[in-house]
Amino acid sequence: MNKYIHCMKGIIYKELIRFVKQKSRFFSALVRPLLWLFIFSVGFKTALGLAIIPPYETYITYETYIVPGLVGMVLLFNGMQSSLTMIFDREMGSMKILLTSYINRNYLLFCKMFATSIVSTLQAITFLLIAKIYGVEISYLGMLLTIPVIIVSSIILNAFALFISSVIKQLENFATVMNFVIFPMFFLSSALYPLWKIKDSSVLLFNISSFNPFTYIVESIRFSLYLKYDQELFFILGISLIITLIMAFVGFRSKKINHS
Amino acid sequence: MKNIALEFKNVSFSYDKKEVLKNISFCINEGKFFVLLGLNGAGKSTIFSLATRLLKVQKGVIFVNNYSIKDYSNALKDIGIVFQEPTLDLDLTVQQNLYYYGALKGINFKDTMNSIQDEIIKLELQDVLDKTVRNLNGGHRRRVEILRALINKPKFLLLDEATVGLDLKSRFDILNYVKELVNTNNISVLWITHLFDEVDENDDISIIKDGKIIESGIVKEIINKHNKANLIDTFNALTKVEK
Repeated sequence: MNKYIHCMKGIIYKELIRFVKQKSRFFSALVRPLLWLFIFSVGFKTALGLAIIPPYETYITYETYIVPGLVGMVLLFNGMQSSLTMIFDREMGSMKILLTSYINRNYLLFCKMFATSIVSTLQAITFLLIAKIYGVEISYLGMLLTIPVIIVSSIILNAFALFISSVIKQLENFATVMNFVIFPMFFLSSALYPLWKIKDSSVLLFNISSFNPFTYIVESIRFSLYLKYDQELFFILGISLIITLIMAFVGFRSKKINHS
Repeated sequence: MKNIALEFKNVSFSYDKKEVLKNISFCINEGKFFVLLGLNGAGKSTIFSLATRLLKVQKGVIFVNNYSIKDYSNALKDIGIVFQEPTLDLDLTVQQNLYYYGALKGINFKDTMNSIQDEIIKLELQDVLDKTVRNLNGGHRRRVEILRALINKPKFLLLDEATVGLDLKSRFDILNYVKELVNTNNISVLWITHLFDEVDENDDISIIKDGKIIESGIVKEIINKHNKANLIDTFNALTKVEK
């Protein structure tokens, strides 16, 4: 059992050191959601009226509404970036160190995703703190209770991204995935507007958004951030975790290593 | 019964439809230095990848340290690996890289460092432990990779073109160090290379060409058998025969 603990500690240790040393990566990951919060939401709040919807008990500002979605954005982009690195590493060599360990490969991949989720959590919490300073109403208790949800959500997105990366034949196609996977996943969710608003405009888009796991990630973050519990929401999150992990393990196993 | 470090039995392997290994069989006994010699594209790295489970066996069987490679948790437990391409994390210090690799072997930082204390001195790396890998020269980086492979005192060391890109002195320093490990620590070694000057006349060798082992044995015996002056002439003669 000890070997598994040492293994996980080592992988987390490495990710955290890389995180500390690559400060530009940290700041660039924060800039994107902050731009949405400081600029996009300011422009949009006058155009978009929000009704009282769960978990909120009163009318809220648009900035307050999009913060959970922007946390999801941090996790989504981090997950994609991390998985791209894993696939790139696998082709370039350093991932081979991980793959030649005598410890179960799926466990190693899980450790890697968990380590990435810790880094993502640090970025997400930093974003939430900035949002709070900016004036968005978030309690410290809410932030604390959201941490496990953020970690699980991050693992789901990492696993999904790893699966997507595994089926890409060439890394250059990753830009295509950004356009055809990440952006639709983000826009076809409740990150920027409530689903009932989408339903008003298009039932088809509403149905697609209702099946988008990212919607449930955003809503789970939203509910936990405002100290509310929805059993169905967290059940879907749990199922998504299991399915995406299986997809990631199977996808990674089937990805062939290039040899010179 | 002899202990076997590595055994390939009738192994064939194809990338898509191209067969790159054709019914390969060879065996490395415990405590032996074994050279796999071949030109680029001969199939050496595929053998290395199969022995380290980077590739899945398609046909035949492979045993590492007496365990089938399918039983990887036992087979890969006591091996050390040096890859052809650099695999150290450039942003981490030498010590951090060592700790990370030790963790992948399931051991803690203290045990990791204890297991290689003597080797750090022998490889003259004590002054670079706190340096970031990015700031090390090629020779140092290679020595760190060899040091890393020795974490937890493996029984079997696999090195894939470990000296590529190094100057002559660094190359032979590394080669002599690895040979010394065989003599002093009874480690088995698979030394994969395309460089003839790294092969000694007393070495146990297999020559590979186009995915087939075309000759095996002690170098000087192979040279005598083919009535040639040296290994290069023998190799040329053998590869012409194959043509």
